[in-house]
Amino acid sequence: MAQDEILRCHELRKAFGDLVAVADVGFAIAAGETYGLLGPNGAGKTTTISMIAGILDRDGGEVLVCGRPHGPSSTWGKRRIGYVPQELALYPDLTARENLRFFARLHGLGRAEARRRIDEVLAVVGLTGRAEDAVKEFSGGMKRRLNLGVGLLHRPPLLILDEPTAGVDPQSRNAILESVAALAGEGTAILYTTHYMEEAERLCDRIGILDLGRIRAEGTRRELVALVGELDRITLTVEGPRVVPSLQALPEVRAATGHEGRVEVMVEDAGRALPRVLGAATDAGVTVRAVEVHEPNLESVFLHLTGKALRD
Amino acid sequence: MTAATAMTIARAAGAIAWANLVRLFRDRTNVFFVVIFPIVLIMVLGLSFGSGFRPPLGVVNGDGGPRATELVRALEAAGHRIVPVSGDAEARDAVEHGRLSGALIVPAGYDRALRAYTPVTLALIGRDEPAAHRLGAALNAVVTRVTMPARAAAYARSAGVSGGFDELVARAEAAPAPGVTVAVSAAGAAGPSPLGGYEVAATSQLLLFMFLTSLNAASAVIETRSLGISRRMYAAPVPVGVILLGEAAGRVAVALLQGLVIMAGSALLFGVRWGDPAGAALLLVAFALVSGGAAMLLGAAARTGQQANALGLLLALGLAAAGGAMAPLEFFPAPMRLLAHVTPHAWALDGFAELLRGDAGLAGVLPQLGVLTGYAAALLALGAWRLRAALTR
Amino acid sequence: MRATLLVMAKDLRQRVRDRSLFLLALVVPFGLAAVFSLVFRGIDAQAAPTIALADRDGGPVVTAFAEQALRPLERGGVIRLRPVAEEREAREAVERGEADAAYVVPPGFSDAVTEGRPATLQIIGDSGQGAYIARAVAESFAAEVRYVQVTLAVVDGGTFEGATLVPRPVAVEELGAERRQLSLAEGFAAGMAVFFLFFTVQFGFSSVLDERRDGTLARLLAAPVPRTAIALAKLLTGVVAGVAATAVLMSASALLLGARWGHPLGVGLLVVAGVLAASGVMALVATVARTAEQAGNLQSVVAVLCGVLGGVFVPVQQLGGAFAALSLLTPHRWFLQGLADLHGEHAPAVAPGPTLALLAFAAVTTGVALLRVGRMLRP
Repeated sequence: MAQDEILRCHELRKAFGDLVAVADVGFAIAAGETYGLLGPNGAGKTTTISMIAGILDRDGGEVLVCGRPHGPSSTWGKRRIGYVPQELALYPDLTARENLRFFARLHGLGRAEARRRIDEVLAVVGLTGRAEDAVKEFSGGMKRRLNLGVGLLHRPPLLILDEPTAGVDPQSRNAILESVAALAGEGTAILYTTHYMEEAERLCDRIGILDLGRIRAEGTRRELVALVGELDRITLTVEGPRVVPSLQALPEVRAATGHEGRVEVMVEDAGRALPRVLGAATDAGVTVRAVEVHEPNLESVFLHLTGKALRD
Repeated sequence: MTAATAMTIARAAGAIAWANLVRLFRDRTNVFFVVIFPIVLIMVLGLSFGSGFRPPLGVVNGDGGPRATELVRALEAAGHRIVPVSGDAEARDAVEHGRLSGALIVPAGYDRALRAYTPVTLALIGRDEPAAHRLGAALNAVVTRVTMPARAAAYARSAGVSGGFDELVARAEAAPAPGVTVAVSAAGAAGPSPLGGYEVAATSQLLLFMFLTSLNAASAVIETRSLGISRRMYAAPVPVGVILLGEAAGRVAVALLQGLVIMAGSALLFGVRWGDPAGAALLLVAFALVSGGAAMLLGAAARTGQQANALGLLLALGLAAAGGAMAPLEFFPAPMRLLAHVTPHAWALDGFAELLRGDAGLAGVLPQLGVLTGYAAALLALGAWRLRAALTR
Repeated sequence: MRATLLVMAKDLRQRVRDRSLFLLALVVPFGLAAVFSLVFRGIDAQAAPTIALADRDGGPVVTAFAEQALRPLERGGVIRLRPVAEEREAREAVERGEADAAYVVPPGFSDAVTEGRPATLQIIGDSGQGAYIARAVAESFAAEVRYVQVTLAVVDGGTFEGATLVPRPVAVEELGAERRQLSLAEGFAAGMAVFFLFFTVQFGFSSVLDERRDGTLARLLAAPVPRTAIALAKLLTGVVAGVAATAVLMSASALLLGARWGHPLGVGLLVVAGVLAASGVMALVATVARTAEQAGNLQSVVAVLCGVLGGVFVPVQQLGGAFAALSLLTPHRWFLQGLADLHGEHAPAVAPGPTLALLAFAAVTTGVALLRVGRMLRP
């Protein structure tokens, strides 16, 4: 086991009657790492993380939290997990502060510590001004942010987020994604489920593609994309003489085409190739008005692996 | 208004009313509350009223001889419901808990003492309250009557008449004595035959449940309001009047259905005859209109479904109790009986009582029908006015 | 324990904020108890019936009847006597309801009796307690007259005075029993309290299903607290709410409606046992249901059915037979029975039988509910 491994699970299995929701799932997450479980509705994401969070008995497999076996009756592990369910798991008739206080105390925080953490969390999710309002008065996005905030109260080393942005306005969604990124930056291990490809691409260091209760592929975005062998695409909007031949001469460039001021350049790694591409263009005496980088997309990976679209 | 518009209005109102009934039974538990529960309650109440609503008299016959048996028979003949009890302690416990109105204890040796001209004392266990003293007076009368020949025999013996106990008693029993005839006559013309247990239960529960079910379903009005369905209906190409008519028809339909279930159920299961069909039908419709109007007003006035439910329960049970649908009006003290007639229940009960006694036809219940129609008109108008305000707010 | 208290505090805070509990647990039952107490107060302690006496004879026999038969009853508070002059007046009094029954003694009655000729005592009114008592007293008097006439016929040279000197061979002596029974108004107040108690405790255990519906159950399960602590908290919340509501209702009906409950210790034990039983029954019903709505519906059916069979609306225990036996299967019956046992001046301080019966209900139902709780405690 790696020194900083926060979560490891393997051979997780769960069936509801005849329906096998999770057949064989295993992965590990290190401190500071964000792991995304990507899959369509019904793939087994929620069942998987419910077993990891210890709210659902599993039929088989093992879960280790910070190196110790974890299960529904393990309070030691639960103290180290912040779980944010997919539903808005809040009491609508209580205020934001009352909700936070209840869950903080339930997680064993003392009065003074709870008070301090509640103020911090309220600031993180941007609800300080609405702390004394009943949750039922909140907008959908505010409820989502508070839902996330409840999971952060006890500073868990492992944060489990089940579709935390489902049905949220773009502004709140952004705020949530930024908070998650910041937490990862502080060293929190994050298990993130979503069926939004863009979120997985933006947040996750590693991604597991889940379908029919099994992990079909796992790795960084790049590794996954490599499975289907797609290239990055750089689009330049330019003014000036023809630049395509000089770009084609670069070793990083696999292909380049130009048409009416738009130049498409195919490269293996846009991050590494972009400075050279821009340099070559400038050397050729053209003015670059705009640059767009299109990385190959998980949607196509998913399609390739499972034969179906992410959102159906 | 043309015939076509009338058709349109009727169709729209009918659709809203039908939707109300469908929604009532979508919740399967309402089958219990509308059908099974009232019938069970009528059964229990019918049995209870059937026993005259008076707990029986317990008798501990510790003797069992012919004279003691004669006394018990006489008590039975005097109209007491006799329950044999085996011991004093059991009798006392039953009396204290109200299972028996009182218990008469005939001691062992009763027969022997009578024959030996030795005075005997019968203990009557009764609670220290007026009803028990009345029972005491009544039992005293029976005992005096039954033991009169024995007393006459005692006097005869003391006066030197020869003969054994049995002989003297036989002579006393055979002696000519015109005595005093007690002639009982009813007061005035009103000599109504009392209603049977099931009839009392069925009429009172009919009214209680029509009102209760109707008010309970009133939360549907609020649900409709909060779900914005009525706004959608409002946006539909029908005039407000039709929507209000439909809501009213829905409320009345629920009450009417409940009434029909109870009327038919009690007629089939317990043989309750509801008297003159026209009179009964009109009373049923009139009370359904009253219940529907009350429900509409409640649905328009209450803010939340829970509020309507709680208020409905309170109103339905409270008015039923005050109006004589829980305990018969005959038992009410005079001022309360007067006050009871503030409720529509009391008027409807009076009407059904006229019909069920079998002597009144439609004409006999016209006063009650008039009062109920007045209630219905007032409640429906008020309900429509408030609901209109709630819908267009 | 700490987690249990936390969940309880949260639940109670929610319940207090939600006014429907307040309405259903306090306002409705107390309102109904108040109405019932108003309506039934008169029925229970019915005033002594008034009996009119129209004496158109004025002879000694009537005087004897009035003085020896009627006056003692009036002094004992059994009847009220109202002398009137004319038969018409007596009849009108009965018709107007001012008198419950009336005696009309025709002219020449005393002479007829003393001369051994047939005589008739007329009673107006043939229904109700008043007429019943009037008739009983008249028949007792008639038996007395017959006695004298018979003795005079059987004994040659017998005298009226001599005959009356012979004591009655059989006397009836009233032995006062205590009233260990609730008055109608008290019975209804207690009945309403226990009936709505079942709806009050429903907010306790079944809120597991509410939390499941609202998604918060997952969060409770993910928290580092044992599942039993959550189940216990839910049960206890119902118990606390139930005890509080019942205590308020019983005190309010004692203070405002004049209900008289028994010894506070016995009543307190009975209330706690009753709340535990109610909470157990409702918890058991909740474990059968899949959703909060289903649980609510099932629970109201069970609560209402038990209420009827248990004698909340009808004094079932006085019916005897199958219904009385069936009523023993409901906690309602035992609660009301317990209160009746505690009623009265010489009642015991506690009612062990009913209290233990309720605790048995609680133990069985809660036990089975806890065995089945696992299937509820999942997200």
